[in-house]
Amino acid sequence: MTTVVSLLVVVPLAAVALTLLWRRLWVRRLISLLSSATSFVIALIVLFTVDAGGSVTVAVGGWEAPLGITLVADRFSALMLSVSAAALFGVLAFAVGQRDTDEGFPAFHAVYQALAAGVALAFLTGDLFTLFVAFEIMLTASYVLITHRAGAEQVRATMTYVVVGLVASGLFLLGIGFVYAATGTVNLAELSARMGDIDPAVRTALGWLFFMVFGIKAAIFPLFFWLPDSYPTAVTPVTAIFAGLLTKVGVYAIVRTQTLLFPLEAPSTPILLIAGLTMVVGVLGAISQGDIKRILSFHIVSQIGYMIMGLGFFTVAGIAAAIVFIVHQVIVKTVMFLVGGLVESASGTGRLKEVTGVLHRFPVIALLFLPAALSLAGLPPFSGFVGKLALIQAGFDAGRWMVVGVSLLASLLTLFSMTKIWSAAFWGAPTPNLRRRPSSVMVAATAGLVGLSLLIGLAGQPLIEIATRAASDLLSDSATASGGSA
Amino acid sequence: MTSWFVFIIVGHGLVAIALALMGLKRRVAVLLAAAPLGAMFLWAITATVTGNVLDGGALVAYLEWLPALGVSLSLRIDALSLIFLSLIAGVGLAIVAFSGGYMKKADPPGRFLALLLLFAAAMSGLVAVDNVFGLFVFWELTTVTSFLLIGYDDRKGSARAAAFQAMLTTGLGGLALLAGLVLLSHAAGTTSVAGIIAASPTGGVVTAALGLVLVGVFTKSAQFPFHFWLPGAMAAPTPVSAYLHSATMVKAGIFLLIRLAPGFAGDPIWVPLVVSVGLVTMVIGAWRALRQTDLKLLLAHGTVSQLGLMTALAGIGSPAVLHAAVAMVVAHALFKSALFLTMGTVDSAAGTRDLRLLSGLGRRLPVAAIAGGLAAASMAGIAPLFGFVAKEAAFAALIEDDRWTAMGVIAVASIATVGYALRFWWGAFGAKPLVLESTSGEEGSTRPTAGLVIPPLVLAAIGLVFGAAPGGVDRLVSAAAPGGKLVLWPGWNLALALSGLVLAAGLLVHVQREFVSRFQRSAARWAHERVGMPSTERGYESAVSGLNRFADRVTGIVQNGSLPIYLAIILSVTVGVPAGAWAISGGGWQGSPWAFSAAEAVLAVFVAVAAIAVTRSQSRLAAVLLLGAVGYAVAGLFVVYGAPDLALTLLLVETITVAIFAFVLMRLPRRFEVRKWRIRGWVRGTVALGVGVFVAAGTLIAAAQRTARPVSEQYADLAPGAGGTNVVNVILTDFRALDTLGEITVVGIAALGVAALVAGLRSPTGGRT
Repeated sequence: MTTVVSLLVVVPLAAVALTLLWRRLWVRRLISLLSSATSFVIALIVLFTVDAGGSVTVAVGGWEAPLGITLVADRFSALMLSVSAAALFGVLAFAVGQRDTDEGFPAFHAVYQALAAGVALAFLTGDLFTLFVAFEIMLTASYVLITHRAGAEQVRATMTYVVVGLVASGLFLLGIGFVYAATGTVNLAELSARMGDIDPAVRTALGWLFFMVFGIKAAIFPLFFWLPDSYPTAVTPVTAIFAGLLTKVGVYAIVRTQTLLFPLEAPSTPILLIAGLTMVVGVLGAISQGDIKRILSFHIVSQIGYMIMGLGFFTVAGIAAAIVFIVHQVIVKTVMFLVGGLVESASGTGRLKEVTGVLHRFPVIALLFLPAALSLAGLPPFSGFVGKLALIQAGFDAGRWMVVGVSLLASLLTLFSMTKIWSAAFWGAPTPNLRRRPSSVMVAATAGLVGLSLLIGLAGQPLIEIATRAASDLLSDSATASGGSA
Repeated sequence: MTSWFVFIIVGHGLVAIALALMGLKRRVAVLLAAAPLGAMFLWAITATVTGNVLDGGALVAYLEWLPALGVSLSLRIDALSLIFLSLIAGVGLAIVAFSGGYMKKADPPGRFLALLLLFAAAMSGLVAVDNVFGLFVFWELTTVTSFLLIGYDDRKGSARAAAFQAMLTTGLGGLALLAGLVLLSHAAGTTSVAGIIAASPTGGVVTAALGLVLVGVFTKSAQFPFHFWLPGAMAAPTPVSAYLHSATMVKAGIFLLIRLAPGFAGDPIWVPLVVSVGLVTMVIGAWRALRQTDLKLLLAHGTVSQLGLMTALAGIGSPAVLHAAVAMVVAHALFKSALFLTMGTVDSAAGTRDLRLLSGLGRRLPVAAIAGGLAAASMAGIAPLFGFVAKEAAFAALIEDDRWTAMGVIAVASIATVGYALRFWWGAFGAKPLVLESTSGEEGSTRPTAGLVIPPLVLAAIGLVFGAAPGGVDRLVSAAAPGGKLVLWPGWNLALALSGLVLAAGLLVHVQREFVSRFQRSAARWAHERVGMPSTERGYESAVSGLNRFADRVTGIVQNGSLPIYLAIILSVTVGVPAGAWAISGGGWQGSPWAFSAAEAVLAVFVAVAAIAVTRSQSRLAAVLLLGAVGYAVAGLFVVYGAPDLALTLLLVETITVAIFAFVLMRLPRRFEVRKWRIRGWVRGTVALGVGVFVAAGTLIAAAQRTARPVSEQYADLAPGAGGTNVVNVILTDFRALDTLGEITVVGIAALGVAALVAGLRSPTGGRT
């Protein structure tokens, strides 16, 4: 099994090299698609194995922890790997169907697979410094993707993204320096054992430093400004995969480090406060926008708040709900941007004032938007309902009425925003700019992910069960990232 | 039996898909759409007759969904469910038949009928499911289908706005309902509706939960102060108004009230809140209905009023009054859907529904006039129609319960009900001497087709049958809410006298309509000018525009687009929060800041000076050189710490960087452009200083924590075994080779990115096409 787990990083890395070897675009597409499809299948195998038999640890290069680097597949990481592989494959298929993403950008597939490798490594690594390396791979790939095919104006807009990313990386490195200075190790399992030995005040400070560092990546309040300014400038598949994955890797890192290294005893009021503010300020931002991609970008921020809320309860139910919500968001956020991209590619614009009546011209786009939008707003029977109900129940169990109330309010505002998009862009007399029929591959890729969201909504029980087991793993005393601690 | 129910519900969905996808002919589409509704109607009758439902039993089935969250679709179909199911399917059949003739201009009727069927399925599920979350799921599905149907004529801005308004209002209620149901199920320890009612928990949490549930109920059933969305929803095609917004969906709230009343009517919040809201709504609706000139709006406000009546009755919650409330639900569904459909017939025959323009249609549309007359008489409470029977039961139960305040208010509002019932019939069919006789609105439109007149006639006639012989219906109503008896002739009693009085007064209101309307106008003026009475419609509008303004303002502040401001906030928060947390949790100073050698001190000062100089430099070249100087000094520190190869590497990197920068600078202006900063210098200085202090102090404090042996010492011991003597090399290529591989990937990707960027900027299109 250890080999299979390593493949999750090896396969996309190999695809990076292979796609660069061939000149022909169709070969590159084939390699890229095969890589993503294989990753998805492997991730599912790992998920089932790990869920049945407990976590799998790989000592890379044969050096046991804490000397070497460990890769650890547990329920949480395996779940994240599976859902992200699904999103990566769906978006890749969309990009291939859209054609103009990779035509004229020969390195697209190499960079995309590098992103996939970075994401996989981030989920798998049991080593704090390798987590930094994984972030670097992922972020560097994202810098390349976001500036891809950008004109001078877009390069300027993406500067915000790159500069904030670099600053966050620097702060991350600083945190690793502090941790190593205090404990003499960067292995997560070792750290978990040694964190108890250091001054509680220092430990709390380190906990908050990592919370904020990953919070920049996760786009929590008040560190999210870079996101809505930069995401909408990229081409659709790039924005979609960023929206679906990158912030969630940040949330994953927050959940992982906060549970493993800086566990709380009780629900954390400051974290819940951040969660509430993230939800509300994010959704208010969405309401103030008039462009589909910009609206959706603010919703990314808002929905991050729900995940942080689940963590803030610091109960098995709360963290399980957060995990379910992350899984749902990876799918639905990706889908929303793909649908936004379908509207854009059909009409040439995503501005609500300039496109109306999509329902009449291209009903299939409307049919894909509606479930995704309702899911985002948390309406049944879609995946968002499952995630939100789990969060609400966990919140009431933890006795945190206020933040639950705030989350419901944010849901209403999300519904407001989704209804606004629907009645502005999908209803009304079709505008003449609705000319280009989206390719069937694009539609099929989007539909596949919509189907996944629906599946989570209709048959979410196994997901909730795995997430609950994952959450109790995270909260149990045994170090989940155990890599043969010394 | 229940598996048939599930099968029929699924059938609704499948037929809806077929209707939406296949461009069927109108007649075929109508027949197809009628099939699942007909099946459901037959099923409901069969279930009533064959089971033990009439004896208070229920058909039960377990259907798991998300047991981890307590969500199931388990069914518990009792008499109340069956009453609603029969109404949903029965009225649905009439509506579908009517739609076939009504939706002329609409291209293929498939999408419309598909939405109607999806609604019917959701509504049937709502009344049949025995799980609070299952109920919520169907509740929200009816909200969504209602939204799509109100906005069906989506090319009209008014329809879009009305749909939006209804979605927001009922969406608000839906979320409140969800929170309330979660709390209620927690308090009761079960998510089964029947289980919760059986447990009927009490306490402060339960009261709060009921408050939230009631917000959901009030929005759905258009109760004050949420009643405004229902008249707005009249932007929907008439069959939708008749079906969703009078006969079925708006009664979902009433349904839930009747369901919960036996368990929770004792809660301190229940009676005062529900009864007062219901009565206020009843009065407001009746008052407004009397003022309308648009027949459809007249009916809509009338619906609001009648929903208020049902709410108030369910709020009182005693067995006899609940019994009357259930009867009222049936009566209202029958007469109001008939009235809406009649109005639709008039509208399509005359091309208008303004009662000031209609005249003499009674002769042209005799069948419609009969149907409308029967239904209006039922609404007014005239014997022997079912509306009379239900209202009589309500009056009698209220008197029996000594609910005199409620009785009084209901009686007064009922006078208005009689008034607007007469106004409707007179407005639609009456001959008005001063108004030109209505001709066909659209040229050459002939007599309305059978599809337009038969459905309302059937609905109205059922009201007559039920009224003349209420015994059969009463068995079901009494099984749903035992506590009363429906009879056509109650004998001479106070309730009957009151009914007579109400009728007489209502007749007077109609006869003196000029006076009444003058009075209403001046009262409205008085309320508006003297009292400044707020209107809830305007409340909604100002809430929405206020929300938009608030969102704009917040976003304008937060999202100001300035990278320096973003960085300042990000740095101060990321550094300030941990520092603050450290201070609050009683962190003390540890480690000695003075433990360094002279060489370290010199290099550190050099780094600091050079770094500050970079920020002050006006010349690009000087800045680059100073940056290089910082790097060289850091390399010097590596030498001091005994890592000469690292130092060498860093020196090389710095040299190359400076050299490359120098090449780039040849193409750039010598000096930085003068820019206007959006944050002041001292703020930038403070942030920079704060980060610097944090890094320095943090390093010292963190290092002072070290008790364990660091892993680096083991590396030194093991390196020879790994085949190398240079520890750094062995770490890079063996112990932590994966990191190295990762960083090589990073460099490679960055190179690809630079190449693409350069190529993109050079291409004639300038990048994005």
